[in-house]
Amino acid sequence: MSTGTRVKMDPQAIRTVVRKDLTAVRRSKPIVLPMIFVPILLIVVLPFVLGLIARTSSSQEVQNALSSSVVRDLTEPIAALPEREQMVVLTLGYLLPPLLLVIPLMVSAVLAADAFAGEKERRTLEALLHLPISDRDLFVAKVLSAFLPAVAITWIGAVLYAVVSNVVAWPVTGRLFLPFSQWTLMILWIAPAVALLALGLLVVVSSRARTTQEANQLGGAVILPLIFVGATQASALLLLPWWGVIAAGALIWALSLGLVAFNGTRFTRDRLATAA
Amino acid sequence: MTPAIETVDLTRGFTSGLAVDGVTFSIERGEVLALLGPNGAGKTTTVRLLNGVLRPDRGCARVLGFDPARDGEEVRRRTGVLTENAGLDDRLTTRENLELTARIRGFDRISARRRVDELLEQFGMSERADDLTQGFSTGQRKRVALARALLHDPEVLFLDEPTSGLDPAGTRDVINLIQELAGEGRTIILATHFLGEAGRLAHRMAVLHNGRLRAFGSPRELATGIWQDMAAEIDLGGPASDQILGMLRATEGVVQATASPTGADLRVTGREGLARAVATLVGHEVHVFGAVAHPPTLEDVYFEIERRILAETGDRSHSDGFAHRWLQTGSDPR
Repeated sequence: MSTGTRVKMDPQAIRTVVRKDLTAVRRSKPIVLPMIFVPILLIVVLPFVLGLIARTSSSQEVQNALSSSVVRDLTEPIAALPEREQMVVLTLGYLLPPLLLVIPLMVSAVLAADAFAGEKERRTLEALLHLPISDRDLFVAKVLSAFLPAVAITWIGAVLYAVVSNVVAWPVTGRLFLPFSQWTLMILWIAPAVALLALGLLVVVSSRARTTQEANQLGGAVILPLIFVGATQASALLLLPWWGVIAAGALIWALSLGLVAFNGTRFTRDRLATAA
Repeated sequence: MTPAIETVDLTRGFTSGLAVDGVTFSIERGEVLALLGPNGAGKTTTVRLLNGVLRPDRGCARVLGFDPARDGEEVRRRTGVLTENAGLDDRLTTRENLELTARIRGFDRISARRRVDELLEQFGMSERADDLTQGFSTGQRKRVALARALLHDPEVLFLDEPTSGLDPAGTRDVINLIQELAGEGRTIILATHFLGEAGRLAHRMAVLHNGRLRAFGSPRELATGIWQDMAAEIDLGGPASDQILGMLRATEGVVQATASPTGADLRVTGREGLARAVATLVGHEVHVFGAVAHPPTLEDVYFEIERRILAETGDRSHSDGFAHRWLQTGSDPR
């Protein structure tokens, strides 16, 4: 921090920076469009199409799917279901939901790139740095500017996903199979932690990059491994007991908060101005 | 009284080298200081250091009694900055750009709106209040940015190239406005490479070159440090005769006298020398139709300083001791 004395947090300044960023982002098509279309693809199109296919699959195909190494761990909860429900619940309840974690990652990445690199590119950063907002408050505001929309879009997306999935599956299930407790915990507890984890890394990347494009490229190097790890491991989360999901989430939260706190202490307007 | 701004050995480097190198100066409250120098001289870095955006590698500064490196927020609460680029967010309206800044500065919603309305009116931007700033002319952007710098009625203003990109009318408006602000007793640091505006607005000037303070003082003080005499002209209605030239050359304070088509061109040691020359001629019943001194302009001073810097360094690299030897004035605290 550039200020030697520890100053109280200024909630009004933080709120204002967040509001400014959200207003500006809302009016920016290059930012808004990917944040609409990618989630729609993942939340509506994909479950709808795959749900329809799964709904009409034969019992032999279900057995083949359950015996594959990828979903072997999912056999137990699925096998307990009536046979005609198995494929659709497997697909929409266990295999696709981890993709919902891609949404907070993606939204975080897009907004974090805009947070500082975008300000530099638009040449608005200098004026911001000359305002009486502490380095810490500025960092918090920029993290929140990306975190809040990431979480909001994820949660709205999850509700949409649950609706689409239940509608598609209804002819074979005749009941609402989503949400179930682990799925709900993944959305409410783990997705925000994942968003924060990405932001802990990406805000710093954005503060060092000169352009949004550069931030996106550098961010891709950070975000892609996270997506890979997330997508491959998240299905396993849904098989844990509820307290296991909470514990896994707590671990991600601890990691995220630690990362944000660490980067927050290293964040100074001097570095920001120098990188500009 | 505590100076409004003082720096001692202020130094800041980047990977490319020292941007500000051992700068020491002090200015009083209500004073307008022009920071002059070519691009890359260290003007913007100096402003950033004074406003606590950058931390010095060495030395220190005090702005209104606060150390910008330690109490940056306290400094920034009391200063207003017009950055070289207006820095408006094109995705926001004029009003949003100003109101959001006011809110960050601690205004409540109602007083922010009231103050923004006042300033928009003052700067003739009320009709564009609810337009996105995208597409505004440079002049309009500067006006909005200047309004933003004045939102909190700051004691100190840092104006970085306030007229760059403006047309002549816009330049005149901004200069008039800065004159008004200076008249209100604000301390102003004007970083510019436009000598005309510096000459009109500044009480003193600081010439930076490659990050080093090469000269500091009023144009007159600096001119005195450079030249022992100044040009003057006497109108006699026709070329001066040898006899008149002889009288002039014999006058105390006249260094040189040559005939001109309308009278005589002189080099005099100050305005008093010219007054004595006129008195001598009148005493000898010579008709004097006019006499005018031509003290060096700010441009003369600035370019002479630049010329001497280049002559001493041989190139644009740093040199030591140059300014101290010949440009120290009574105003320079060193």
